[in-house]
Amino acid sequence: MNCDTMKSQVFPYVDAELPTELRNEMESHLVECETCRRVVQQEFAFREVYITHLRPDPAPPQLRDKVTQLLAGLGAPTALARRPWYKVFLYTGAAVVLLAVGVTLGLRLGAVIERGNVLDEMAEASVEQHQKLSRGQMPPDITKVSPQAAEDWFRHRVDFKVSLPDLKSPNVTLVGARMSRLANAEVAAIDYKLDRYRVSLFIMPEEAYNQLGLSEKPRFKILKRRGYDVIVWRHQATGYTLVSEIGSRACYVCHSPDEKFGGASLESFVRL
Amino acid sequence: MDKVSEFQAYVAGCLDSLHNYALLLVRPPDDHEDLLQESLLRAFRGFDSFDPELPFKAWVFSIIRNTHIDRHRRRKASPLEDPLNDAQSTGMLYSPLFSIPLAPEAILLRQETIEHVRDGIRRLPLLMREVVELRDIEGLSYRTIATIIDRPIGTVMSRLYRGRNLLRTYLVDPRREDGHATRGRHEL
Repeated sequence: MNCDTMKSQVFPYVDAELPTELRNEMESHLVECETCRRVVQQEFAFREVYITHLRPDPAPPQLRDKVTQLLAGLGAPTALARRPWYKVFLYTGAAVVLLAVGVTLGLRLGAVIERGNVLDEMAEASVEQHQKLSRGQMPPDITKVSPQAAEDWFRHRVDFKVSLPDLKSPNVTLVGARMSRLANAEVAAIDYKLDRYRVSLFIMPEEAYNQLGLSEKPRFKILKRRGYDVIVWRHQATGYTLVSEIGSRACYVCHSPDEKFGGASLESFVRL
Repeated sequence: MDKVSEFQAYVAGCLDSLHNYALLLVRPPDDHEDLLQESLLRAFRGFDSFDPELPFKAWVFSIIRNTHIDRHRRRKASPLEDPLNDAQSTGMLYSPLFSIPLAPEAILLRQETIEHVRDGIRRLPLLMREVVELRDIEGLSYRTIATIIDRPIGTVMSRLYRGRNLLRTYLVDPRREDGHATRGRHEL
């Protein structure tokens, strides 16, 4: 392979789209040719610095509401009417079997589904509020205060404990805090900045956390919503939701990177 | 999970991407929100034919694209006119320039912001922008993109190559409107 052929294939190479044989030829050439090696290294650097951080333009809240309404209108009656007759027969049979299993089991199943929906709605709402907080569309009630001052502010406004550890690093800033609503409950919303990333922490009362229907294990539940990482957990009588783009690193707003938990690192508890 | 809930969950997981793609295709006075909603209804009606081998968002992208073309043809006297084939794209696609990829060194040295790069992508002619966004923002494979735009993989590679080079031209010289730089500038 010569340098011109190599350069014409740089994009498919860094996109990992080349057939194995051609890829091997390129890599042999790169071992020998410093100029081409540099070209490829620059492509990977360009990708790392810019391309991997690109995101689609977010859907505005009004459109999100419209789509939610549209999808909610995809009702069962119309859909049922379009189903072939044998499917209706099958569904009817399945319903009879379910009835035979018992109303109690049915009720429990319904509760599980409802809880799943509550968790989903809560994760969606957390991400939406995180976006609004970081874009200034949900202005904080208090700004530039210490964690202790924020705790005091919440103490007069919520009837559950808001505990905010000291900031563990000069790279972490408490941008602001405010009251908000999640999972049909009033929550404390805290907006942090870690390096150049925004991290939102939502603290909710025990009753609201219980509505999510989560089991005790794993202790940290990880969800991905719209490109954001949502970590949900409980500590004593309080529920927490942490939203960011940086995975478990977001935990550094409250914990130092070298902090150990029973001898284990933070990452071993929270894996994305 | 029933069909409606499953469909709702899929859409909720990629609504930003679907919105972004509808916004990319539609030019005022057409309404990208109408296009998205009509496409979602079509997608739901055809949900039984969705093949999970393909990413859900890619499947809906192809429906959005076809819906857009259908809507355009319904309104226009010439039913074969392609709303995606604008003059700017056509001119740039057949331009003889950009024989060698622009090295990104100059851009890296300038330490451009990510938002600046995003703006550069928005300035690209439609057919190039579409492929660049599907690859570099949505992370789709060449083969999946070829399925969405209903063209061979070679066309995807060609548009991507030219689109990325034009983006670099914009970033190196933000005043440039059409990307027609001298050959010397291309070999930065």
